[in-house]
Amino acid sequence: MFASLPAPGTAVAAALLINVQTPDGHPVPGAVVTVRPLDAAPRHATPVHAVMDQVNRAFEPDLLVIPVGSTVEFPNSDSVSHQIYSFSPAKRFQLPLYRGKPYPPVRFEQTGVVTLGCNIHDEMLAYLLVTDAPWFGRTDAAGAWSAELPKGRYHVALWHPRLRDSESDLERELTVGDGDRAELTVHLSKPLQPAPLADRPHSWEY
Amino acid sequence: MPCRNLAMRHGATRGRAARVVRWLARCAALLACSGAAAATDWDLSLDGRVVSSNAQPPFMQGGLGTVRYGSDDQGLQLGRARFALTQSVGELWSVHLDASMYDDRDRSPVGVTEAYLLFRPYPRAGWRLRMRAGGFYPPVSLENRAAGWDSPYTLSYSAIDSWLAVEVRTLGVEGTLDWLGTRAGSPFDLGVTAGAFGWNEGAGAVLAGGGFSLTDRQTPLFGRVGQPGVPPLYGTEPFLQLDHHVGAYAGLEARYHDRLVLRVLRYDNRADPTQIDSVSQAIAWDTRFTSAGLRLEAEHGWTAIVQWMSGETTIEPLGMQMNWPFRADYALIAKRFGLRHSLSVRYDRFEVQATGDADGDGSEDGHAWTAAYIFAPDAHWRLALEWLRVVSSSYNRADLGGPPLLTETQLQLAVRYAIGSASR
Repeated sequence: MFASLPAPGTAVAAALLINVQTPDGHPVPGAVVTVRPLDAAPRHATPVHAVMDQVNRAFEPDLLVIPVGSTVEFPNSDSVSHQIYSFSPAKRFQLPLYRGKPYPPVRFEQTGVVTLGCNIHDEMLAYLLVTDAPWFGRTDAAGAWSAELPKGRYHVALWHPRLRDSESDLERELTVGDGDRAELTVHLSKPLQPAPLADRPHSWEY
Repeated sequence: MPCRNLAMRHGATRGRAARVVRWLARCAALLACSGAAAATDWDLSLDGRVVSSNAQPPFMQGGLGTVRYGSDDQGLQLGRARFALTQSVGELWSVHLDASMYDDRDRSPVGVTEAYLLFRPYPRAGWRLRMRAGGFYPPVSLENRAAGWDSPYTLSYSAIDSWLAVEVRTLGVEGTLDWLGTRAGSPFDLGVTAGAFGWNEGAGAVLAGGGFSLTDRQTPLFGRVGQPGVPPLYGTEPFLQLDHHVGAYAGLEARYHDRLVLRVLRYDNRADPTQIDSVSQAIAWDTRFTSAGLRLEAEHGWTAIVQWMSGETTIEPLGMQMNWPFRADYALIAKRFGLRHSLSVRYDRFEVQATGDADGDGSEDGHAWTAAYIFAPDAHWRLALEWLRVVSSSYNRADLGGPPLLTETQLQLAVRYAIGSASR
């Protein structure tokens, strides 16, 4: 995923390393980490153009993190038609029944989680996290994410549709000081929601 | 003489094969002419079987066999030739049509098993309404989730779903209100469904006359079951309206993520059991049932389904009162190996009692084991091998000179080839 670099001209002070673990100590891959400075002027990452495809009645990928103001294209590579919707407060929209790529990209101007579905195939479920954080990314297979940051105080927040801990339990404030690196390990207090089932034939009714 | 019989049988098989191929070719031509517009999804499939069976003649031949093929149906058989079309009409409406050919002496060679108009507005604030009008299955089955109301686990449906396939269809309207919780951060989705229908007052006659069976033969809308003049089913018609009563059903569905589905439905066709059609002598069967089922899907391709149904069908001709309480249940365990292989085992139990003036006439009980291996090498081909054994005790079979207690075994090898939107 994206891992925004500090803006040009900013002194790099240290590396920030985040680890996310389940209550029984297993790594949590794919968790979204957003990092905002607390004592510097707020700024956003540069908007991007992203693509979320539809393949075998599933969104591909099924989670995207994008800076606020970004655009996302939703092509349908399936031979069956899809009808995409979101009723999330961060962005309400619909793409009427289509195959291929008939619609222009959709722009996301508000921060928040946008949950996507298909009005024909209820098994299709995907998420966009629209963020105003200058640094963000997703944990790797070892449940880790890192970035190079200027020294200062930061607000770190975690998000993933499978996390059940409350929002406030997934936020931390920390100082990235003069040392080589700052490290934060978040131990979730609640087990994860079940992952979507893999390998289910896509022609089955949900 | 045997050679002549064999030649006649081969000639008949060739004639039937030609009919099936001609129908599928016509469907393909229709699609080619329509240009398969952008919002048209279609499927075309042909399912051939090699059958070995020691069963009694099946219900479509007027017999009391509890499986689809009898001992006279050994060898090559047509499982199903199917054509389905989904055509969008504007943004929120679509028309669905599912037509099949079974080539087993039905009234019409091609029948429509489902045909309906669907209204599907976008969800608003987590709520979504769906409305259907036409002919379709009420939401009971948890195993028949593949295209054409087929089971992806076995060839033969459970006793519950086999009965629905033979006698039950909504000919009317249905509304479903869903709360899409999983789109709003909840692990649950919830739905309530209500339907109002007519033309299902013949439903019950096959249960009382022939009992439960395990088949994958779906009666087309306004089709008949059995053969005219052949007892005990006499070519009965499930899709009849004899009084002005509107049937109704109401159901609930709850889901936990994509793992667990719970479905409950109460169905009552609200037929007036005293009604008899003066011309055809057809009787209105007052049929109601409750069904409940749970489907659990877990990691590593495991699926478990349990379903239960209990109900009663009643007729009251000429001052008599005849009741057939019935119940059936099953448990199925399936294991998928990747996307291509699956193994399934199901145990069914079923029972029809005959009370009141029926006094035992039509009672049946039994159980069945089904084991199936399905191999789908790609989106076009499906190979299935199924072993099915039904042990049943039937009053009517004994009444017609057959054994009251019988074990029937059917082995099928099925090869299906499909083209269309779902298999491209």
